[in-house]
Amino acid sequence: MNRETATYIPREEKRYMGTYRPKIDAKEKALGKTQYLDDITLKGKLPGMLYAKILECPYPHARILKMNTEKAEALPGVFAVLRYDDPEIKALGRTTHAWTDIAITPKDSDTIMRYWDRDFLPQTGLWVGDHMGVAVAAETPEIAEEALKLVDIKWEILPAVYEMDDAKKPDAPILHPELNPTTNQLRHSEDGIENHLFFQRGDVENALKEADFVLEVEKTYGGVSTHGCLEYRGCVIRWDEDKMDVWTNHYMTDQTRMYLHDYTHVPLNKIRVRNGNSGAHMGKWNTGEDIFFMITAYLSKRAGGRPVRYKMTNHEEFHETRSENRYKIKAACTNAGKITGMEMVAEGNSGAYIGGCDHNVEFIVSETMNRAFAPVENVSLYSYTWFTDKVPGGVVRGIGNVQLCWCFMSLLDELAERTGIDVMDVIKMNCTNDINWPGERNRSICRVLDEGAAIIGWENRHKAGEGPLIDGCKKRGMGVAIWNQWHAELNELTRGFYEVSIRLNPDMSVIIQAPTSETGAGGNSAAVFACAENLDYLNIKPEDILWTPLGDTELGLRDNAPTDSVISFLYAEAMAEGAVKLKAEILRRVGEYMEKDPEELDITDAYVYEIANPSNRVGVEWFMLHTDCVPIHIHHARHNVREEAGLPFGAWFTEVEVDIETGQVEVLDMAVVNDVGCVMHASGAESHQISGQAMGIGEVLFEEIQYDKESGAMLNNNYIDYKMVTMADFPKRVTPLLVEEWKGLGKYGAAGMAEGAFTGAGASIANAIYNAVGIRIDDQAITPVKVLNKLMEKGGNRE
Amino acid sequence: MIKDGIQLKVNGRTYALKKDRDYEEADTLSKVLRERFGLTGVRVSCEQGACGACTVLIDGKSALSCMMLVTEADGCDILTIEGLDGSDPVVDAFVNTYGPGEGTAMQCGFCTPGFVMEAHSLLNENPNPTDEEITEALSGHICRCGCYHGIHKAVEKAANHICKCKEEAEAKEAANE
Repeated sequence: MNRETATYIPREEKRYMGTYRPKIDAKEKALGKTQYLDDITLKGKLPGMLYAKILECPYPHARILKMNTEKAEALPGVFAVLRYDDPEIKALGRTTHAWTDIAITPKDSDTIMRYWDRDFLPQTGLWVGDHMGVAVAAETPEIAEEALKLVDIKWEILPAVYEMDDAKKPDAPILHPELNPTTNQLRHSEDGIENHLFFQRGDVENALKEADFVLEVEKTYGGVSTHGCLEYRGCVIRWDEDKMDVWTNHYMTDQTRMYLHDYTHVPLNKIRVRNGNSGAHMGKWNTGEDIFFMITAYLSKRAGGRPVRYKMTNHEEFHETRSENRYKIKAACTNAGKITGMEMVAEGNSGAYIGGCDHNVEFIVSETMNRAFAPVENVSLYSYTWFTDKVPGGVVRGIGNVQLCWCFMSLLDELAERTGIDVMDVIKMNCTNDINWPGERNRSICRVLDEGAAIIGWENRHKAGEGPLIDGCKKRGMGVAIWNQWHAELNELTRGFYEVSIRLNPDMSVIIQAPTSETGAGGNSAAVFACAENLDYLNIKPEDILWTPLGDTELGLRDNAPTDSVISFLYAEAMAEGAVKLKAEILRRVGEYMEKDPEELDITDAYVYEIANPSNRVGVEWFMLHTDCVPIHIHHARHNVREEAGLPFGAWFTEVEVDIETGQVEVLDMAVVNDVGCVMHASGAESHQISGQAMGIGEVLFEEIQYDKESGAMLNNNYIDYKMVTMADFPKRVTPLLVEEWKGLGKYGAAGMAEGAFTGAGASIANAIYNAVGIRIDDQAITPVKVLNKLMEKGGNRE
Repeated sequence: MIKDGIQLKVNGRTYALKKDRDYEEADTLSKVLRERFGLTGVRVSCEQGACGACTVLIDGKSALSCMMLVTEADGCDILTIEGLDGSDPVVDAFVNTYGPGEGTAMQCGFCTPGFVMEAHSLLNENPNPTDEEITEALSGHICRCGCYHGIHKAVEKAANHICKCKEEAEAKEAANE
C-alpha cells in the first residue's frame, strides 16, 4: 500500500462494527447539547449551593505552626471552615493515589499502591500549590477566596529540594519521613527493598563483556507537560443527614462512591454519584487530587447539608504533570545490529507525592522487556523513585510508555546508525513479545513497519544530515518508532466483572446500558455498534439503539472506567454474549406462546420460527405487542479472559523540516499505522490515530512547563503561557492506517487504540531530527534553543 | 453611565434584562448566557481568551463571551450554538466528517460549539475560504483531543455546501429572470 491506496481492510466484513460512520453522539456534541459537570450543576439547579476553596501552599516546603481562622469564619457569606486539626479530618488518616481504575477499593492492599503518602488537609505543604491546611465554603467563589486570605498562619519554612540528583544527597531534607525516614527514595512497591535490582534476566555483565560494542544512551522525558483538558476536575457534594449526593466529572462513579464510603462509612446505598461527560480525560484523576472529594463532603456536612461545589481553577488544573523519568542504558550490541544485553538505570522525579512515577521506572519497564524486547536475553533494571518539592508527577495519556518509547527508539535508531543497517531491520530484529509468533519475526511489527514505510516513502530517506538544503536554511529528515498497543483483555483483569444490559422494547427499539463516562474515547459508539452487530437476528440497526449514558450509582450497573482505551472492545465482547442471552430469553417467552421448546426454535429477521417447520413462525414485535407489552431485559456480567495473548504494535513515521537558522522544527508528514486486532469503529479509531498526534507533537515541540529555580513553582500554569498545539501547528498530512494482523482473545480479539495513539510520535520526531541534521536532543521538549545549541556543539549549524 | 438595564437579542428573541435582578454589573456575557438563559452550549474553560470554547456570534462575528461584560453586549444580536439546529450546514459537516482518512471533527465535544460558531463567523464573511484562511480563523481555539484535521475537513465541507447552495440559488434566480 502507498499513501493513495492506504485503506483499512477488515479481516472479516461486519455490518456495523469496524465501519466508517458518525459517532453516536456527534450531533448532540456539535449542537452543544452534551452536558458536562458545570451544566448539570448550574446554581439554579442546586439552590443554596456553596463554593469551596482550599488553601494552596505558598512555599515549596513549609509547615503550619499556628493558624487562626476566626476572621475567615466571621466573614459574611462563609458557611463552613475546615482545618487540618479538625477531628473529622484527623480521623480520616492518610490516603494515596490510584484508587480509580486499577484499584478495587482504596483500602484493598492487593490492588492499591502501598504508599500512604498524603493527608487530606496536611499541616505541611510539599510544593508551591499543594492543597493544605484549611478549606472554606462560601456563597460565592470570591467570598471563599477572601476568607482564605483572612486566615492568619504562622509558618515554619523548611528547606526544599527540586531535582532528583539533589534529592538523593545525604544532606537533602527528607520529605516523607513516614515512608522512609532516612532518604527521599521511595521503596519499591513489590518487595520494600531499596537501591536494588528490580528486574533481571540472563547475565548482563557477560553480555557487555562479549559485545562487539557497547552503546550508551541517557534520556529524560516528563515533568514539563500536563493533560491540558478544557474541562477542569471538580465535584458538587450534598451530604445531608445520612445521604450523600455527588455530581462529578470524574470518569468513574462507582469507584468514587467506594472511596467516599471507605472513608466516611456512609453505606453504599446512601451515596449516589453521578457524572457527566468529560471534557477530555488524558489520564488525569490518578494522583490523589481526588482528595477534594473528601474535603468537599465534609464542608457540606459542616454547612448543614448544603451542596458544595469544588472545581479546579485554570492553574489548579496543572496540579499534575507527566512524571519525569530518566533512563540510562548500556546496551551490548553486535555488529549485525542485535542487542544481546541491556543494563538499565531508571529513575523518576515523583514530585511531592506518588502518582504513578514508580510504575514508570519499575513495573512498566520490566513489562516492556517482555512485551517489546523479548529477544534481548540479558537484562538488568535498577530503579529509583525520588520525592522532591515539585508538582506531583502523575498519569498522563500513555503513562510510562511515552517516556520509554522516547528512550528505546532512540537507542535503536542510534544502533542502526552505528551499524549502517536500516533502523526498520534493527527494530524487526530486536523487538517482539514473548507470546506471539515464537521463533519468527513479529508479524504485527513487520506489518505496521512495512505499511508505514510505503505510506511515508521511506525509500527516499537519506543518510543522517545528508539531505539537501531547502530555502537556504532548512533540512528534512524522516524517523520511525514502534510501540505496543495497549491493552488487551488480560491486562485489564483488575477491573473485575463488568456489566451491560440490553432492553428490547415492544416496538423493537433497544435501550442498552454500558455505563462509562464519555471522555472522547468513543466507548459509547462502540457499544452501540457491537450491540447492533450482535442483534442481527432482530435486524436491529445502530439508530434503533439508545445508549443510556454516563454513570449513576443508582442506575443499577457499575460503570467501567474508560481508561487504557479498552472500554470499546470490553463492552463489545459483553454485548456479543449479552445478545446470546437475549436470544435465549426471546426463545423461551415466544416458545411458551408457541408451545414449543426453545431448542426447537430459532430467530432470523426478527421472526421466531420452528426449525423443523420454518413456516410456523411468530414475529418478535407482534408477539411483544400482542401479549403483555413487557420489554425483554437481560443483564450480563463478564470477566476478562485470563489467558495471555500478547499485544500488537503500532508504528509512527514522521518527516520533519528543521530550520538551522532558528532551530524551529516543523512536522510535515506523518504515517500512523496501528494493529488493533479488530477495529471497533473505523472512524473513531482513525480519529485517534490522526488527532492523537496533536498531543504527541505538542509535548515534544511546544509544551514546556517552566519552573522557578528558587521555589520550584510552575510559572506558566495557564492556557496562554503553556503553549498547546492549535490548527496552525498541526501537520498538513497525517495518514492513518488500521490493520488487523494480531488477534487476541474473546470473540473479537481486539486491543486498545486511543490511550497509546501518540506513544511513538515524540520518538519518531526526535529520530527524524537526527536524520535531518544529525543531532539528538535527549530530553523533552525539543525547543529551538536546544536545537541551536546542539547544532553549535556539533560544529555549527551548517556542518 | 451605569444603566439600570440592558437589552439583548439572543437566538432571535429580544430580552430586557434588569440590573441586579437578571445580571450584575461585573457579570461576563458567558455567565449570563449560561446561568440566566441556561444556554450551556456556551462553554467556559480558560477564562483567558486562550481556548475559544465560549465563542458566540455577536452581530454575525465571533466573540469570546467570557472575555466581555454582559453590559458590553447591550443592544447586540447574539447567536449561541443553541440558535442552530441539525440542518445547519456547519453542524451537519461536523457530524458527517467520518470518512476514511478524515478522522472526526470532535471527540470529547467540549470545544466543539466554539469551533462551530467560529466556522460560522468565518463563512459569514468569507464563504469560500482557502485552506490557510480556515487554519488562520480557527487557530485561536484549542481542541485538546486534537481533532484539527477533522475540523478543517468539516469547515471545507460546510463551505462547499454553502457555495453550492448559493450557486444553485443564483442559477434559479437567473432562470426565473
